[in-house]
Amino acid sequence: MKKRRITKKIIKRVILFFIAMFVLSVVVFFLARLAPGDPLQAFYGEALDTMDESQIEAARQRLGLDDNLFVQYFKWLGGALHGDFGLSLKYKMKVQNVVNPLIGNTLGLGITAYCVVFALAIVLATVAALHEDDWLDKIICKVGTATYYIPSFWLGVVLVLIFSVNLGWFPSSGAYDVGKQGDIGNRIQHMILPLIVMIASHFWYYAYMIRNKLLDEFRKDYVLLAKAKGLTRRQIVWKHCLRNVAPTIVSIMAIAIPHVISGTVVVEAVFGYPGIGNLAVESAKYHDYNMLMMTVLLTGAFVFIASFVAQTVNEEIDPRMKVTKEIRW
Amino acid sequence: MSENLLELKDYSVSFNTPKGEVEAVRNVNLELKPGEILGVVGESGCGKTVMCKSVMKLMPKNAFIKSGSVKVQGEDITSYKERDMRPLRGKRFAMVFQDPMTSLNPTIPIGKQITESILKHEKVSTDEAKRRAIEMLDLVGIKDPNERFKLQPHFFSGGMRQRCVLAVALASKPELLFADEATTALDVTVEEKILNLLLDIRERLGIGMVFISHDLGAVARVADRVAVMYAGKIVEIGTAEEIYYDPRHPYTWGLLSSLPALARKDGELNFIHGMPPSLIDPPPGDAFAERNKYALAIDYEKEPPMFQISETHSAATWLLDERAPRVVSPVNLKKRSALWQQIRS
Repeated sequence: MKKRRITKKIIKRVILFFIAMFVLSVVVFFLARLAPGDPLQAFYGEALDTMDESQIEAARQRLGLDDNLFVQYFKWLGGALHGDFGLSLKYKMKVQNVVNPLIGNTLGLGITAYCVVFALAIVLATVAALHEDDWLDKIICKVGTATYYIPSFWLGVVLVLIFSVNLGWFPSSGAYDVGKQGDIGNRIQHMILPLIVMIASHFWYYAYMIRNKLLDEFRKDYVLLAKAKGLTRRQIVWKHCLRNVAPTIVSIMAIAIPHVISGTVVVEAVFGYPGIGNLAVESAKYHDYNMLMMTVLLTGAFVFIASFVAQTVNEEIDPRMKVTKEIRW
Repeated sequence: MSENLLELKDYSVSFNTPKGEVEAVRNVNLELKPGEILGVVGESGCGKTVMCKSVMKLMPKNAFIKSGSVKVQGEDITSYKERDMRPLRGKRFAMVFQDPMTSLNPTIPIGKQITESILKHEKVSTDEAKRRAIEMLDLVGIKDPNERFKLQPHFFSGGMRQRCVLAVALASKPELLFADEATTALDVTVEEKILNLLLDIRERLGIGMVFISHDLGAVARVADRVAVMYAGKIVEIGTAEEIYYDPRHPYTWGLLSSLPALARKDGELNFIHGMPPSLIDPPPGDAFAERNKYALAIDYEKEPPMFQISETHSAATWLLDERAPRVVSPVNLKKRSALWQQIRS
């Protein structure tokens, strides 16, 4: 009985996933083509100016850009279903081959930032909630809010100025120095400044949310009973409130995934960090259609899967969500 | 005379609010003997709950004790800080709240919520705590406590949850239990059972209780003595018989006349007109004067003192002064009075 339900649920999610991906691909496909600009510019660059009409026409035909939009879409879809996402107009090679080595960079940066952001957010939120309205809470709130409102592109530039240009402690761009691809220390060195910017621009948003959730929780009746039986504020927050807020934190963490990913876009652009975010920005700029589709679908799939995982974890943590099903049975 | 379990002397509690100081509890004098149940009745907002919560110091930060003292088992805890209070909560006194649906943590098995309290106060092994918790569940009338021990609160009905809350409160054997509207959220049949349970617990554990309610019926059922509160003050206090059969304060008359059993002939319920006064800058004189059809001129100027009626019975109304005109209590209460005379003689 239970197994069948789970299988059914998974099938439902998978179908939903493909529908979502399909809709996303349609929207991005047509939006990109409706935007003004010429993709040939990306392919030929300066050479385009010296080409005559017939040459341009021939190039369009070769790249499949002269078909009706719908025909173009279904051609792309047919290829995509066979694992062929087309040619990048800018890099002149298969998009997968461009994207593959960059995924690791973005994931490395994104996941590290994500983990640090939430570790920091949960700790700070708990400390602030424990000391509600005391000086410690006030300092955390004020400093946190100030950091949150520093624009990340500005902070990036300032950090580069201080730590790369003046002090020379950290490199200012790239993911590794030439020829040091396998050197983890070198990669970490390159990651530190972008990480700081990502963390600074994200942690407070979540810390504040979690702090307020904890305080809301702390005003509930059961806390009064726990207090009345002699527990300390610390014990109540750790043993009762955090546990009850956990599902909310998990949901927040799930929603945060796209937020933090969008953060990598800005940071990668500022630091010239070779990753998906940087690539997405570039491909939109150069009308690199296939590349844009790839990057958008990739992030889309990632967000979808992340929220699915979050929901599953939620159901595991909060017994109330499961019980309704048991009763129905 | 044995030592008082709880003793409030000239006890006042206020809140600092943006609109001014709210005097929630004003000059309350009260004592409770071990094993005694004191009922506290009054309208919403009259300070019943604040009085009890402030004794346990479970108040928000803007509340403070303005004057007077609290003694628990002879120990003056008026100036105790959070740190000093913690070992007392649960051990000396415990509290049960109005809504059993929200006073238990929904994600933690009830057994654990009980053992938590025991482990906090006593150095016992986890097994011993568990054994005691199961004993506690058994005491409050939960069947199959061994299995129920592991269940989360959502497996329980409202009445059973209130039993669990009681088990949590009683786990580390407090001497004094505050029951704040403990049966208000329950339906009457369940209420009856919980009231019986409270009496049973008093019988078995010999603990004193302050039973707060606006349900006069429930109070009559369990209380040995009753205090009537109005606008932060105790206006009448006496044994349950005295309050129910021989009330002296016009406010108590009003409350008792409002009981459905004493409805008027035309089927309409009696009620007390108007609203209680704001406790920011309470009116001078008797706070009840404005709603009191028996009010005297002096009621608006000077606060009535407590007039002693018998050794146990006193009321704060100028009607009891020698110079006051003789006022008879409402007709429907007279019958009760007569009954009371009969009982006494």
